[in-house]
Amino acid sequence: MAWAVFIVLSVLCVGAVAAMIVSRNQAHNALFLVLAFASLGGLFGLLDAPFAAAVQVLVYAGAIMVLFLFAIMMFNLRRPAPREKKTLRAALAAGLGTVLFVELVLAARKALAGSVPTGAPGGIEGLGRLLFTDYLYAFEITSLLILAALVGALALAGKKEDA
Amino acid sequence: MGSPLALAPLLAVTAGALAVLLLEAFLRKKDSEAPAALTVAALLTAGFFTVLSWGEPGLGAFGGRLVLDPLARFLIVIFVALGVFVALMGLKYAARMGLALGPFCGLLLLAVAGLMIMVSTGDWLVVFLGLEVLSVSSYALTGLRLRDRTSSEAAAKYFLMGSFAAAFFVFGLALVFGTSGRLELGSGVPGAAALAGLGLIVSALFFKIAVAPFHMWAPDVYEGAPTPVTVFLTIAPKAAGLAVLLRALSPILRAEGAAAVLSPALSAAAVLTMFAGNLAALRQTSLKRLLAYSSIAHSGYLLVAVVARDAAGLVFYAAVYLFMNAGAFGVLIALSGRGFERTSLDDIAGLGRRKPWLAAPLAIFLLSLAGFPPTAGFLAKFYVFGAAVREGHIALTVAAVLASLVSVAYYLKVIVAMYMREGEAEQEPWLEEPALYLVVFLCLFGVVELGLWPGNLLTIIRQALPGFF
Repeated sequence: MAWAVFIVLSVLCVGAVAAMIVSRNQAHNALFLVLAFASLGGLFGLLDAPFAAAVQVLVYAGAIMVLFLFAIMMFNLRRPAPREKKTLRAALAAGLGTVLFVELVLAARKALAGSVPTGAPGGIEGLGRLLFTDYLYAFEITSLLILAALVGALALAGKKEDA
Repeated sequence: MGSPLALAPLLAVTAGALAVLLLEAFLRKKDSEAPAALTVAALLTAGFFTVLSWGEPGLGAFGGRLVLDPLARFLIVIFVALGVFVALMGLKYAARMGLALGPFCGLLLLAVAGLMIMVSTGDWLVVFLGLEVLSVSSYALTGLRLRDRTSSEAAAKYFLMGSFAAAFFVFGLALVFGTSGRLELGSGVPGAAALAGLGLIVSALFFKIAVAPFHMWAPDVYEGAPTPVTVFLTIAPKAAGLAVLLRALSPILRAEGAAAVLSPALSAAAVLTMFAGNLAALRQTSLKRLLAYSSIAHSGYLLVAVVARDAAGLVFYAAVYLFMNAGAFGVLIALSGRGFERTSLDDIAGLGRRKPWLAAPLAIFLLSLAGFPPTAGFLAKFYVFGAAVREGHIALTVAAVLASLVSVAYYLKVIVAMYMREGEAEQEPWLEEPALYLVVFLCLFGVVELGLWPGNLLTIIRQALPGFF
């Protein structure tokens, strides 16, 4: 059963990313990316990482991508992006992709050999406990950071009073 | 939880920021000065709590993530003074330049909160969060002159480059934590990966301090930002970043292994910074840009204090630099008109005859920045360079003295323009800004007092920071 779900989600994820690259309509790009993020969240769930799965869906697929869609709609990008010459960029991307692939293969082989230690047990419960005991101070500062970003964005985007 | 007093200064500033931002909603009059008054009150409260805890050796809370030790207290007092100066300078400037005073004060308080978080901790993660609170507020402060192109451009540049630095910092943190499993400042560096991580973190801090070769953004940002914000940016991130470097690197510099790499690297960065700043400043025709390059050179001198592991010298230099730099920029603000600034050397030509009471303080601030006795700038450099000689960094000290000699040329150029050149004869009216003149006077007092009688402050600093000698 798990295998079947894994195959379906993986195919969805890889397919969505491929479609996102091929498609030239910006709104479709964004929607394909949402699909890729959602299926990636499902994969995290299969790996017994419920927190990562929830964050993936809520933050990436939810908040960030909706923002992207809003931006695309606001700029009113109806026309698809023009075709561009991409020999150099394609070669560069292929080179970097190969390096990344080799790295991933090496990492996966090491992980399968069982030499990588797993994190502290306790899952989401342990995470919550850490956040509200040891890392409470850091956690609270994060709220200050978000406040600063919010105020700054509002101040800069605020109406320009006429002189 | 530890002592509640450790958290009190930070809480005062944060509460002040929230109150200022809430006040915006209830203010009827658009040009009310209430936000600035509230800002000054919040900062003074924070200063009061800091001084209240002075007798205790070191207050901690949250398992070492919040440490209010003497070094942190000195820097918090410096930041409080800086915040008060900037708020007072911005009071009328905001109205003249079309800045919204509420967001200006709120962001200023948030930035000060970030500074406090940065300097009063022993944990890299908290340093990073504090640095980001500071940076995000600074980006917005830089762009607050909404109708001014250069201000928006400066903010965009600062934001983009700052984001790169933040990415460096996080990547470095990941390497350090991944290899050692610890995030304490000053824990050793086992192996090459952790050393690389530490290098990334140090480069990110260098970026915020504007140390060469990570200083390219600084002149544009300092020039484009509203002048009170420039005062803040040229002093605060430098003092905080260097204090973090001092905390983190002095145990490592004392050990044998890593010091062999780190000490020459820091010295090279310091020398490069001093010369990059001073040589570029020679060619400037805008006083604001000249002072921007001069502040880059001063990061180099301050870095000498870190190499020499001289905490007392660093604190003294930061205090003196606060007075002389804030004073020089304060005079620049006093020269600005409604909606524009007068910053070019031609604008200040003949200032000695037109406005002698502004020209004389500016001349004293510039002489202090150059390091002439009997001003405080001379003593600050003297103590830092002396500590470097004691620690055996002779070549570094020689380079620093040479760089100071170069800097004399451009500081004197400004003074010559003020007193020996003829300017336009028209008499601009004096600005009615008692708060601004108060700041300039306090800075003048600080520069002269610390230059002639530095003993009081030095005794306090040396008594409080014996462990760092």
